[in-house]
Amino acid sequence: MKLDLANPAWQQTLPPARSLATDAPVAACAFSRDGNTVAFALGDGQVRQMPADIKAAAPDAAPPLHSGVALALIGDPAGDGFVSGGDDGRVLRVALDGTATELLTQKGKWVEHLAAHRNGAIAAGVGRAMFVAKDGEVREFGPHQSTVAGLDFSKDGSRVACAHYDGITVWSIGQVVLPPRRFAWRGSHVALKWSTDGKFIATGTQENDIHVWRVAQATDMRMQGYPAKVKSLSWTADARFLYTSSQPVFTAWPFAGKGPEGKPPLQFGDEGAGLMTVVAAHPTAEFVAGGYDSGELQLGDIKTKRSVVLKMADGSAITCLAWAPGGFRLAVGNDRGDLLVIDLRR
Amino acid sequence: MASPQSSAQVPVTVLTGYLGAGKTTLLNRILSEQHGKKYAVIVNEFGELGVDNDLVVNADEEVFEMNNGCICCTVRGDLIRIIEGLMKRKDKFDGILVETTGLADPGPVAQTFFTDDDVKARTRLDAIVTVIDAKHFFGQLEQGSEAEQQVAFADVILLNKTDLVSPDDLKKVEDKIRGINRYARIFRTQKSQIELDAILDKGAFDLARILEFEPDFLHSGHDHNHGDEVASLSISADRPVDPDKFQKWMGALLQIKGPDIFRSKGILAIDGAPRRYVYQGVHMMMDSDWGSAWKDGEARSSKLVFIGRNLDGDNLKRGFEDCLK
Ligand SMILES: [Zn+2]
Repeated sequence: MKLDLANPAWQQTLPPARSLATDAPVAACAFSRDGNTVAFALGDGQVRQMPADIKAAAPDAAPPLHSGVALALIGDPAGDGFVSGGDDGRVLRVALDGTATELLTQKGKWVEHLAAHRNGAIAAGVGRAMFVAKDGEVREFGPHQSTVAGLDFSKDGSRVACAHYDGITVWSIGQVVLPPRRFAWRGSHVALKWSTDGKFIATGTQENDIHVWRVAQATDMRMQGYPAKVKSLSWTADARFLYTSSQPVFTAWPFAGKGPEGKPPLQFGDEGAGLMTVVAAHPTAEFVAGGYDSGELQLGDIKTKRSVVLKMADGSAITCLAWAPGGFRLAVGNDRGDLLVIDLRR
Repeated sequence: MASPQSSAQVPVTVLTGYLGAGKTTLLNRILSEQHGKKYAVIVNEFGELGVDNDLVVNADEEVFEMNNGCICCTVRGDLIRIIEGLMKRKDKFDGILVETTGLADPGPVAQTFFTDDDVKARTRLDAIVTVIDAKHFFGQLEQGSEAEQQVAFADVILLNKTDLVSPDDLKKVEDKIRGINRYARIFRTQKSQIELDAILDKGAFDLARILEFEPDFLHSGHDHNHGDEVASLSISADRPVDPDKFQKWMGALLQIKGPDIFRSKGILAIDGAPRRYVYQGVHMMMDSDWGSAWKDGEARSSKLVFIGRNLDGDNLKRGFEDCLK
């Protein structure tokens, strides 16, 4: 895998990319499981699909699938399409031709969080409950003490962790019903990511901290000093680092060996204009992408500490990032409604 | 056609009041009247509104306690989430209305707008509007602290259902309200009938508009207050304020008395500063800024206002006087 992050030309012009302007904020973006299609969830209820190949023709705007905002989007773990959630309380399975079938609906609730496991399971946070859909069966877990504000599968897909007020809850979702495990930490947890090796669960809190639990030992740690709440967390593929947003540079906590206790985070990259709003570790290699509230986009390499700030046309805050499964393409969405797919192959 | 899009912050009006006071009637009026404006409404009981409108969002009043362990530092996390979600919509709003349940403490709602950076960037708390049932107000005061708190927090009060009480009783209710909160504007209403510009876009929390909202802000007298009732008081001074001393005093005061102080605001003549220093607080949370410049020859006087429980007026006055040059 080769990405030319030191390519100085990228500071003047974007690498080969497809850019489309819409007039609705982008809430989420995702690639399909096979990497051939990319989709964007928009503030007018659309799930806008297009070929990942930036040279292929992009279809026109699609009719809205959700009646309000399409808030959440993931690649379908059981097909080549997508799964979306909206503020109309619906979770939809969206086929490549744009047709949608309803997986579940909860009137009056919002579907803000979706997660997928490669075994085909989908988890959705709907109000205070969490639903798991797999093989045509939908099961409900909860209710939690407050609305689910983040969720993620364990590495093996046997459990789902949900963030809420005063901590997180880990549910066993297999056929054997086990009582849920509670991990307590006071305050409101607003983001959650389970580490790629399954050992840690990290949350971002309303009070500008990161909280991380060791799942087996149930011990926890707290990282302070962020100037804003951390809404974006991303573990590297090898689980050695946890990237966090809300800093002017890439900020990675080291989890290899004895863990990050007593160590400062690794920080590298150019100081962007403003704070990083979204961070996404590369799915296979040591690269990382970060989007800023200023609209800047930065790519970095944790091994060489090199980075490049990509020239972006406008100053609208980046709201979402997604790497294609192979890691050669990156999807970017912003608050103004720009949809971008960048081809990073050298 | 392009939707109205503005980089300005969307004003948020908080609507409190006991069950049955007339909040729903007021909301229905706001949503059905022809005013050419578009509002998002966040309600606690879905389906109560007569209007079928996709801009109505259901909220569960999810209050969380912040990690500092303080009982008054509570925030509506659901409101943060909902406002973030509303801002993702393609269609923008002229305003947001937040209805609270009848027994809600307005503190967490108000504090949400002091706490969260994203909420602060996209919206501004405009005013707290409290609807009061003139007939049942005294009974509600006896049922718990909620009715009193809702009056104490208010910028605007709709004294509603005035047709159901005698003029004498109405006066008693109004006097009681004034005893709790001397600074709110009171409108006597029937069936929640009110001109919308009396309650919307008031700028009651706008630091630049503190003077504008309260015409007699700099002229009302000193108040004595005893006992554990909720009351309002003001302190004024003509000598310039020492900023370091003031900050220390106010910091210590809020640390100790924060849970009892519902609202506070002030205009300060800082020693040597060409502009007014203005602040606005809810419990321990506070926003402050430099306001307009003093004019040549203008009397530079300072004034603080507190609305709260167990306020010791003499003690507060002495404390503030120690901050003067
Ligand atoms: Zn407090």
